Amino acid sequence: MSLEILAYPFLFLGLYFEVFMLLTFLSGPAKERRLRLAGGSTPKVAIIVPCWNEQDTIDGTVRSLLAMDYPKDKLQIILINDGSTDNTKTVMDSYLANPQITVVHKENGGKHTAINMGIEIAKDAEFVGCLDADSFVAPDALREMVPCFDKPEVAAATPAMSVFQPKNLLEQMQNAEYIIGIAARHALSAVNGIYVTPGPFSFYRRSVIEELGGFRHAHQAEDMEMALRIQRAGYEIENAPRSRVYTKVPRSVPKLIKQRTRWTTGFLRNVMTDYRDLVGNPKYGILGLMVLPLGFVAIVGGAFLFLVAIISLVVNLVRTYDLTIGIPLSYTLLPRFNFEWFYVPVTFLVLTSMVVGILSVTLVLIGRNVSNTPAKVILGIIAYTFIYAFIAPFWLMRSMYDVLTGKRRAWR
Amino acid sequence: MSLGTRNALLALAITVAIIGTIVAAINQLDRQRIAELDAIQSQLATDTLSVETQFALLENAPCADLTVGTDLTSEVSSLGDRLGVAESRLGSDNPEVLRLKKQYTLLQIRDYILAQRIADTCDIEPVTALYFYSNEAGACESCDRASYALSYLRQTYPQLRVYSFDYNLDLGALKTLIAVEKVEERFPAFVIEGERSYGFTDVESFQALFPKELYATTTATTTATKKK
Repeated sequence: MSLEILAYPFLFLGLYFEVFMLLTFLSGPAKERRLRLAGGSTPKVAIIVPCWNEQDTIDGTVRSLLAMDYPKDKLQIILINDGSTDNTKTVMDSYLANPQITVVHKENGGKHTAINMGIEIAKDAEFVGCLDADSFVAPDALREMVPCFDKPEVAAATPAMSVFQPKNLLEQMQNAEYIIGIAARHALSAVNGIYVTPGPFSFYRRSVIEELGGFRHAHQAEDMEMALRIQRAGYEIENAPRSRVYTKVPRSVPKLIKQRTRWTTGFLRNVMTDYRDLVGNPKYGILGLMVLPLGFVAIVGGAFLFLVAIISLVVNLVRTYDLTIGIPLSYTLLPRFNFEWFYVPVTFLVLTSMVVGILSVTLVLIGRNVSNTPAKVILGIIAYTFIYAFIAPFWLMRSMYDVLTGKRRAWR
Repeated sequence: MSLGTRNALLALAITVAIIGTIVAAINQLDRQRIAELDAIQSQLATDTLSVETQFALLENAPCADLTVGTDLTSEVSSLGDRLGVAESRLGSDNPEVLRLKKQYTLLQIRDYILAQRIADTCDIEPVTALYFYSNEAGACESCDRASYALSYLRQTYPQLRVYSFDYNLDLGALKTLIAVEKVEERFPAFVIEGERSYGFTDVESFQALFPKELYATTTATTTATKKK
C-alpha cells in the first residue's frame, strides 16, 4: 500500500474520463456524426499555410492540398512565408504561376500574424482552414470537413490527425497518442467539449473569426486560445472524424519534450489567466466542468505521481541496501519468480491500471476505425504503454516550472 | 438533462461499479488465499500427527523412515512464506491472519519438538534456530534485517532449521516455549543451538552465532540420516 494510495484518485479520474468518452462515443449524437456523409456542397474555402523554415516539407504539404477532391475555383490556397531564413521562399515561389495559390512573404512575426494575414487575403471565403507546413491531407479531407458546418452555430471543426509515416518507436508512440486524440475529439464534439483546434487542418467560419477578432500570440498556443474564445462566445466546435491529416512529429526525445512543453505551458497560461472563468463554470458544460479541470489534474497529477514514484524508488533502494548489506549480491540479485497464483501480485493498483490500459487500447482502436486511418498500432500501443509515462513527466514538470517562474522559451 | 450531464452521471456510476468490482475481486482472491492457507494448514496438522504417531508406533526402529518428517519441515517453511504474503496483504492485525498465524505457530512448535526428538533418537544433528520478533511499532527496528539474513542462511545452508515466532502472539503454547527457553522481551531474539542472543548488528557477527559445522558443508542434511 504505502505511497501507492496517492495514485488512487488519479487512477479513478483517468478511468472516469475514459468511461465518459466511451459512453459518449456510443451515444446517438456521436453516431450521427459518424454517419454524416462527405458533402456534395462545395462552399468557397481558403486554406492558409503559415510557414517558417519548412523548406523540406512545404512542397509535400502544398501537393497534398492540390490533390484534394474539391472544385479548384472554390479552393484558395494561401502560403504565408513568415520570414523564413532557409530555402522556403524559393520552394513557395515555384507555385507563383498556379492561379489557385497565393504566395506571400512577410517579416517574421509569429504564427498568429501569418494566419491573420491569410484571413485578410481570403476575403470571399466562407470557411478558412489552417494547415501547418509539415502536414499532409487525404484527398477527401475537405469534403469530409465541410458538412460539419451545416449548423450555423458551429464556428470551427477539427480533423482526424495522425502521424505521417511513423517509423521509429517515438513516432509510433505519438501515433497511438494522436489516434486516441481522434477518438477523444470525436466523442467530445458530441458534447461540445473540444478545447483546441489543432494547427493541422482545423477550419473556421470566417464570419465568426471576424466577429471574435483574429488569432493572438496566446502564449504560443494560438489554436487553443481561438478554440476557447469560440467556446466562450457560445459557439460550437465540431469534429470531422474521417477528415484525415497526417503530420510530422518530433523524432527525438528532447524535441518532443520541447514541443510538449510549449503545448502544456500554452494550456496552463491560457486557462489560468484569460480563460480562468471557463474552468468549473457550468455555463460551459462538459468543457468547463470536466475537460479543463481534468486537463489540470492530468498535468499536476502526472508530475506528482512521477515524483512520488521516484521517491518511492529511492526509499526502496535505501531500504534494500540497508536490508541486504553484508549479504552476498549473488543471493540478493537472484531473480525469484513464483508462478503459483497465490503469489501473483493482484492489487488494486495493478487491476485498475489494467482496466485503464484496456480502455486506452479500446480508444486507440476506436480512433483508428472511426477515421479509417491506415495505421498499424500494435507497436505504438506498446511504446505508448511503456515509454510515455517515463517521458511525459519531464515536459509536465518543465511546463509547471516555466509557468511558475515566468520563463519563456523559443518556439523551436 | 443534457447528453453531457447524463453521460457524466452514468460514467460516474459505471466507474464506481468497476472500482467496486475490482475491490470485490481482490477480496475474493484474498479469501481464496486464506482458504488455501487453511487447507494447507489442516493437511500439515494431519501430517504432523501422522509422523508423531508413526514415530510412536515404530518404537523399535523409530528412525527407519523419516522422509515424511523432514518433508514436513520444508512444507511448514513454505506455509510460512505464504502466510507472510497474506500478512503483508491483509495486515498483521487481520483476524483471519491472526487465526492462521496461531495455527502456524503451533505447527512450528510441534515440528520443532518432533525434530528435537528425531535428532535425539536418530543421531541427527540439525542446526536449529528459534527467532523471536515483534510486529509492534518501534519494538524491533532490526527485525527486517534479521529476517532477511535468516532467509539467506536458510537457503544457503539447507541443514539449518529456522522457526520464527511473533513474540506478542497471544498463544499459550508460544508463551510456554518462551518461558522454557527463557527468552526476554528484547528483539530480535534468537535461540541458536540452545544459546540465547539478542539484537542484530551485521551479518558477519550474526553468522558467528551459529556452530562451525553449519558452514562445513553446504549440502542438504535435512534428509533422513538413519541410525547406525
